[in-house]
Order: sequence, then C-alpha cells, then structure tokens
Amino acid sequence: MGLAGAGWTLFVAGHMAGNMLIFAGPETFNRYGHAIVSNKPLLYGTEAFLILCLVVHVALGIILTIENKKAKPKKYAVAANPAKRSSLASSFMALHGSIILVFIITHLMTFKYGPEYLVEYGGETMRDLHRLTLEVFSDPLYVVGYVICLILLGFHLSHGASSVFQSLGLNHPRYTPVIKKAGFVYALVVAGGFLSQPLYIFFFM
Amino acid sequence: MSLQSNEPNEPIDKMWENHKFKMQLVNPANRRKFKVIVVGTGLAGGAAAASLGEMGYNVESFCIQDSARRAHSIAAQGGINAAKNYPNDGDSIYRLFYDTVKGGDFRSRESNVYRLAQNSNLIIDHCVAQGVPFAREYGGMLTNRSFGGAQVSRTFYARGQTGQQLLLGAYSALMRQVDAGTVKMHTRHEMLDLVMVNGQARGIITRDIISGKIDKHAADVVVLCTGGYGNVYFLSTNAMNSNVTASWRCHKKGAFFANPCFTQIHPTCIPVSGDHQSKLTLMSESLRNDGRVWVPKEKGDKRAPNDIPEAERDYYLERIYPSFGNLVPRDVASRQAKFRVDEGRGVGKTGVAVYLDFADAIKRDGQDTISEKYGNLFQMYEQITGENPYKVPMKIYPAVHYTMGGLWVDYNLMSNLDGLFVGGEANFSDHGANRLGASALMQGLSDGYFILPNTVGNYLASQTLDPVSTEMPEFEQAVQESTAQIDRILGAKGSKTVDEFHRELGHIMWENVGMSRNRQGLSDAIQKIGDLKKSFWTDVKVTGDNKYINHELEKANRVADFLELGSLMAQDALNREESCGGHFREEHQTPEHEAKRDDENFSYVAAWEYSGDTAKLHKEELTFEHVKLATRSYK
Amino acid sequence: MNLKLRIWRQKNANDTGGFFEFEATDISEDMSFLEMMDVVNQQLVKKDIDVIEFDHDCREGICGMCSMVINGAAHGPQRGVTTCQLHMRSFKDGDTITIEPFRAKSFPVVKDLKVDRSAFDRIQEAGGYISVDTGNAPDAHSIPVGKAEADRSFMAAACIGCGACVAACQNSSAMLFTGAKVAQYALLPQGQPEREKRVLNMVRTMDDMGFGNCTNTGACEMACPKEISLENIALMNREFLKASTSER
Repeated sequence: MGLAGAGWTLFVAGHMAGNMLIFAGPETFNRYGHAIVSNKPLLYGTEAFLILCLVVHVALGIILTIENKKAKPKKYAVAANPAKRSSLASSFMALHGSIILVFIITHLMTFKYGPEYLVEYGGETMRDLHRLTLEVFSDPLYVVGYVICLILLGFHLSHGASSVFQSLGLNHPRYTPVIKKAGFVYALVVAGGFLSQPLYIFFFM
Repeated sequence: MSLQSNEPNEPIDKMWENHKFKMQLVNPANRRKFKVIVVGTGLAGGAAAASLGEMGYNVESFCIQDSARRAHSIAAQGGINAAKNYPNDGDSIYRLFYDTVKGGDFRSRESNVYRLAQNSNLIIDHCVAQGVPFAREYGGMLTNRSFGGAQVSRTFYARGQTGQQLLLGAYSALMRQVDAGTVKMHTRHEMLDLVMVNGQARGIITRDIISGKIDKHAADVVVLCTGGYGNVYFLSTNAMNSNVTASWRCHKKGAFFANPCFTQIHPTCIPVSGDHQSKLTLMSESLRNDGRVWVPKEKGDKRAPNDIPEAERDYYLERIYPSFGNLVPRDVASRQAKFRVDEGRGVGKTGVAVYLDFADAIKRDGQDTISEKYGNLFQMYEQITGENPYKVPMKIYPAVHYTMGGLWVDYNLMSNLDGLFVGGEANFSDHGANRLGASALMQGLSDGYFILPNTVGNYLASQTLDPVSTEMPEFEQAVQESTAQIDRILGAKGSKTVDEFHRELGHIMWENVGMSRNRQGLSDAIQKIGDLKKSFWTDVKVTGDNKYINHELEKANRVADFLELGSLMAQDALNREESCGGHFREEHQTPEHEAKRDDENFSYVAAWEYSGDTAKLHKEELTFEHVKLATRSYK
Repeated sequence: MNLKLRIWRQKNANDTGGFFEFEATDISEDMSFLEMMDVVNQQLVKKDIDVIEFDHDCREGICGMCSMVINGAAHGPQRGVTTCQLHMRSFKDGDTITIEPFRAKSFPVVKDLKVDRSAFDRIQEAGGYISVDTGNAPDAHSIPVGKAEADRSFMAAACIGCGACVAACQNSSAMLFTGAKVAQYALLPQGQPEREKRVLNMVRTMDDMGFGNCTNTGACEMACPKEISLENIALMNREFLKASTSER
C-alpha cells in the first residue's frame, strides 16, 4: 500500500516540476511534452509502473477499507476533543483517495486523451498542449474542481508521504519528527506548485 | 485442639531442601490425570497455575476479572525484596529472614519466613528470565533501592509499576500454558463454595458473572489464591472487586481463619475527600525517603501550609524517632498520624490528614531530581486532588492496604482441610503482625512459583483420591446453598443499597477495629455488626435478577461475607490482649504510646474455627529459636 | 455541579441498544468519574431500575479494567489518564456528557458499557511470553541488558491491556497493543530465541480475531492512558517484515 503510493508520490513531484514550464512560454512547454511522448521506452516504462502502482494502491486500499469498516461496525455518537482526535488528513484517506482516483481519470481524459491541437516548431509537428491547458483553465468550473482536488491531493500526500516510513518500520524519535515535517512540506510544495498553474492562467493569462 | 505446623524436623537452612527431597513425586506421565483447581490469577495464583501447568498437571484457573492480567497484584508499586546482595552491603538470606520476622513483630512462623527469604533470590532469577523489565544500571546490571526503612538496598523494582510487571510475567507464563492446553481459563467466574467429599477438598462451586449460572467443578485438589480482605473497611487501597468470599466460604466449610485482626494500614495514601469516596489511592512509600511529615503545632491551625512558619510546624516523626525519622515502619507512621489528627492537629478541609512536604528536598536536590524520582506519583496526586505537590505540601493519611491474616496453613501451605491449599495474601503465613514494604510480591511469587507446585504434588502423590463427579450429592447441596443465598438476597427487596450497608460496615470497622482498638470499642463493634447483619438480610435492595450480569448482586454476595468477617476480626482483636504490629490495643501501650507486646501469653497464631456467631479459637504456639524476641524500637 | 448524561444502554451483544438520558445532581468536583457513575447507579437502585453496568476494578489506573468512551474519547478528554483517574473537575456545571462502550467488532458489548476483550488474551496466548519453565533460571546478573534497551522495553511493557487503542482507532486495529508486547520482548536478550515465531503468531492471531488494519492515524497513541508510542508499531512492522520474508 505505502510503497505503491510512494511511486505516485515521487511521480507527482516530477510532474509538477515539469508543468512549471508552462510559465516559460508555449514553445518550451510543448517541446517538453513532445520530448516525453517521443521517448517511447521512458513513456511506456513510466506508464506501466504508474498503472501497476495505482492498481496495487487502489486494490489494497479497497480491501483494507472494507476490512476496517467491518472491524468497526458502529461509530461513536460524538467526535473526540482535539487532544485525542487524529488529523483530518489521516482519518479520511479512503475518501480523498477515491476523489483523487476520479480526478486522475478525468485529468487523463482532459489532457492525454483530449483534443489534439497541433503546432509546428522548426519543422517538427507536435501537440499544442499549451493551448489546450489555457483553454481548459479558462473554465471557472473546471478550475474550481481542479483546485479542490489538488488540495485533497495535498492532504493525501501530507499523511501518505511520512506514513510509508512508519509502515515499513522506520520510526525513530530523532528522525520521525523530521520525516513528518518533511512529508508535510513535500505535500505543500507539490500541491502549491500544481495550484499555481491554473490559478495563474485563470487570473493572469 | 493444638495446630500442627508440620514443619520438618531439620535445621532451618536445610529444612526446605530436605523436605523437598523427602516429598513423594508424581510421575510426569501421570500428572495430566490429576486435576488441580487454582482460584485467583494474581501473583500467587497465576504463578501456581502456570507452574503446575508446566509440570503437566491438568489445571483449571478461575478469576473474577475479564482477564487473568487484571488481578490486584498489578497495583503494587514499590518493589520486591530479594537477598541477592548485589550492592555488597551485607545482605544475606539470613538477614532478610531476620528482618522479616522482626518486622512482623514476632507473630510469624520462623520456618516459613526462612524459606521465603531463600526463595526470594530464585524469584528474581526467574522473573528476569521471563523478560520482566526491572530497573538497570548503565552497565546492564540490575539496580536496587532501599525501601521501607530497611538498612540494606535489597529492593528490585520497575519504576512505580513493579507489581504490574511481575504480574504480567506470571500472566504471560499462564497464557503460554493456556496455549499449550495444560491450563483452562475461566474468566469472570466467582467462587461461591468449596466442596468437601470424604474429608477432602474436591471441588468448587462458581457463579458465571456474565450469565449468572451456578457451575460445579470437580478436581483432586483446590488451591486458593484469592487475595486479602481489606475491603471489609469499604475504603481501602484494594480494588473495588477484591473480596473475601472464596476464603470465607472455605472458612464456613471448616478451614480455620488465622489472625484476622492483623491488618496493615499504609501511612501514605491520598486522604478521603468526601462521602462519595469509593476507594483510596496509595502513594508509594518511597516518598518518605525525601518527604518530611508534619502538622501545625497549634490545634485547629487553618492557615495555608506555606503560611505556617518553620517554628510553628511539628515534624513529629523526626521529633519522636530521631534515628529513623520519616522512615519508621508503616504501622508506627500510621499510628502517629492518627494521634495527631485525634489531637485536633490534622490538616486540610476535613482535618483528617497530615502534610508530606517536599520543599526541603526540592531546595536541596532541585525540582528535576525530585521529578525524576517521583514524577509519576506527583502527577497522579495532582490528577486526583487538583493540587500541585511541587508547590504545596501533599496531604496524606493512612488507609487500609494489606491483610496479614488469612486462612491458616501449615508449612506445606495446606489449610487444616485436606486438599485445600492457600497461597499469597489469602493465607496468613509469613508476615506476622506487620508486613514490611516490598515483601508482599515476594511472598505471592514464592508461594506460587516455588512452594505450591512442590507441596501440591506431594499431596497428590501421597493421598488416596477416590473418583469424584459433579453429580455427587455434596456438589448438589453446595449448589443449592449458593442458589438459596442468591435468592434470599434478591428476595429481600428492602430499602437500602448494598453500598449503604458496606459503607456502614466500613465505618464501624475503621472506627473500632482500625489503627487503634480498645475493649469497649471492639465489643460495640461486634454488637453493631450483628445488628447490621440482621438488617442486611431483611432490608437489602438489589435490583434485577440472576439471569444475566448483575453487579449489584455480585456485591451483595460479597458484603454478606464481609459482615460475618468483620465480626470475627473484632473478636480476634478483642481476644488478643496485647499490641503488636498493626494491632494496637490502647490498653497495652508504654507510657510513650508505643506498642506493648505480650510474648508470654500471646506468642501464638489465633486460628478461628467457624461455628455460627462466635468462633472457636485454636492456637498454634510460635517459638523463636533463631531470631531472639526483642522489642521493636525505632527511636 | 449538575450534569446531563447520555448513556448507551444495551441488554446484551444481540440487542441493538440506544442512548438513555440520566441526571447526575450534586456532583462534587473532587469525585472521580466512576464515583459520579456510582452516585447515578445508587439513585437507580432506589428507583428500582437496573444499574448501568460498567467495568472497573483497581480505580488507580493500572488494572486496565475500566473502559468507557466519554464524549467520543476513550478514557475521556485527557491524555495519559484512565477513566477511573479522570476527575469531575474536568467538567463544568450543566455539561452534557455522552458515554458509550468501547466499539469494535472484536470487543462485543456484554451489557451497557461492559465489553468482552478476551481477544487480547488470545493474542497474548499466541506468543506474548518467553518460554521459560519455573525452575533453575540462570542468575539474574548473567544476562546484562543495556539501560537504554531495558528502558525502552519497560516503556512498551507499561501497557495495561485496556483496549483504548482499539476503541479509539477508526479501524479497530490492535497494532499498538500487539506491537507493545512484541517490542517488550524483541528489545531484550531473553526474547531473542522466539523473536520471529512470536511476531508471526501474534500478528496472525490479531488478524484472525477480526481487528482492523493500521492506517497510521495515531489515534491509538493519543488514547493510550500509558502513552505507549507508535514506535512500537513500527518495530513490529519491521519484525514482521523480516520474519515473514525469512520464514521457511
């Protein structure tokens, strides 16, 4: 569960960093996209890895959630006071995880399998992903949905990124607090980076 | 009848070893054919059941809690003594033996105590092997502390949770045997009666606390390790469900009850805060190592403690006992606190408390050092009282803590009934009239791990045991008696709750059979308890029925026995015309209000035979060949 | 002070149960929470109503018998405290207090606030011990144990087996209880010979008993009256990973 999640955790950071090229102008962004799809071994390799991680992560998630619900047939009538309540992020992993899954699918449909605008740079024809992105992020509804999903992704990561260490048996009074903080910062950077793109496009472009 | 202790005629240091050699043995292959019932899963019961299981006997273990791990041995804080002499400070088996006999004010059996001291070392070895995490030094060796005024450091400990760690050790051994199939556990089962067949203890009657069902269990031998009876006082440091019922029902079947009036009142407990109080909480005796006990010199001084100047404070233990000071034994410290309160110099809202002050220790060692030593206790104190003991002196007062008396047993820990063995606090054997700190855990484990498994085997090998079945009339009759008592309780439909009766009994006991006793008070107590008992059977009100779990019914069954026991305790205290250990008779004191023992007339164990309202006394004379009779003095 | 209590009452494991309201009047702030419950029960007896059943015994926070969930928190609002040590000064006049039993499939309700925690005994039986028979164990000083390991082992051994970890966990996971036991022995030299067998058997029994999985929410650690650390769960995960990969 944790390891499969870790695959995606690493991927989203790279994805976010690459997307930052949107701020570098249409050509750089489109060339970056083209470079990725042209490198078939890298592309298929990464896709296969991510699909595998996703299937494992989701399947285990579903199994664990079913088992866990069975183990707790009845919930308490009131929620505990803050001193004895676990964080929102950790308590609702299955919920935001499910929303993120739906998001991943719509996201792929919008971009990867969306309209194929073409553009030509120096005789090379490639997809004009820059145009597509600008178009998509001009729709206020889409932007709102996107922002919500990415905040949830941030939540999901803020727990998941450090939780995997605990699951693998790595807990140490010296390092764990650092790992937890790092996990939080990581989630903040990834979600923040992703969010900067639609927001900038919507308001300033 | 004069009671025979059955100690072998051997030199004291070889007695146990030679006795073991002369014992009859049960062939390992035959052991599973013998069924042993062990009642109680505290240190003694848990250890005995596990050890007998390991040897291959077919053991059935019973406890009233929902798990064997919860017996009240778990609450012991301070530590466990052993004569290891690891600190090289001159300790030895003989010294531990000597201290225990003397500390018990010469009312225990020398042979038993010597064996206890011998076993003390084996206990530490065994518990370490079990993985009990005792406190250690940086070099990896075990560390010791001095406890309860002992002149040597012989107490092993695991922070303030020694009892817990030792009990969990015994519990883990027991669970291992459950897994191995040698021990069958019956949790939430309460023993209601002993079944005697042809003069031998051959079974018990239990009530399933969940279903209310009365069950019969047959066996070849019955081992009772059901703890003490401190809850007869209603308020004590015992657990809420600790009770005397198992012991008392055996007593009613013929087992002698020895020295019932020997109760230990522990000096450092959190005082009663009001009528709602349900139990008292002990603060470890180790606090007296650094805390100073005082009261104001003026009667009725209502100033806040920190406003009372040094010159107007009476550090009475340091004043009266200059050499031991705040570290005098428990009975002495408790009695002195009571005297101060009786003089009208008690402190706090109720006036029934004395101060235990850490200001000097904090000034001397710093708050960090004090917090390292007692942090968890200070925290617990603040949790319960809402006061910060780093800033305001603690208020403490004595509370009933341990009962030295119990069912009479011989050297083999067998009662006067054949086949009924009694271990741990439930028997009377090793502590005389006063128990030293860190000795209860030692005795429970010595009985459970090292004595009972041997002596029970010897009994089984040397007896003719006819086959028994639970269909026999003896079992039927016991079931009927137990059921009849339950029906009688449920049928009373009176006006007072069980707790009201229990509280009233406790009040009578505390006032008249407590820290200080006199003839008049004891006679009054017998009278009052008799009246209370009568009204209990007509006026008790218990809701519900016996078809499913019913805590009120459980309690009523226990209080019925406490009422009878209370009367016997007063009778025993009245009979013992001397002061010794925890038993202080006002008629027998020195001009300085110290206890005055009467060795000429009372150097005996008073073992009482049940016969209705007035019990019959049997004596076991005590002789002291190794520890010379002397007056205890802590001046 | 006067309080309103909403207490879960349930006749037995098969009954559906529900909340009932009770008044607790004239409650002193010096009372413990269970003494407040005693007062309510005494009044019920006077009114011929069956008492509210709840587990309790030592009332000094060590036996692990008391078990209720107070306002959604196992053992009430404070950290590091059992129900029996919770005092009424933590509440205010006029408060409504909701009291429920520990809820978990593996802890079926016996009656009202009493639950059956015998699943913990089963886990313990599966390997929560060191196999040493009573007899002539080697001298206690023949096995030195470093103070750091001994202290960590002690911290794990401080578990009182109350089940608050399971009650507080949204998945009713028993990892903190089991992890603490595994850690106590894994950290000591005496525990080494059975180290792998122990963790495998205990974890498998835990799963068989129907406890849920750990999702690292940390609710158990917050609810634990003895403040047992999540470190013990990590240690058990590590031990289990090692033992299950090398298992033959």
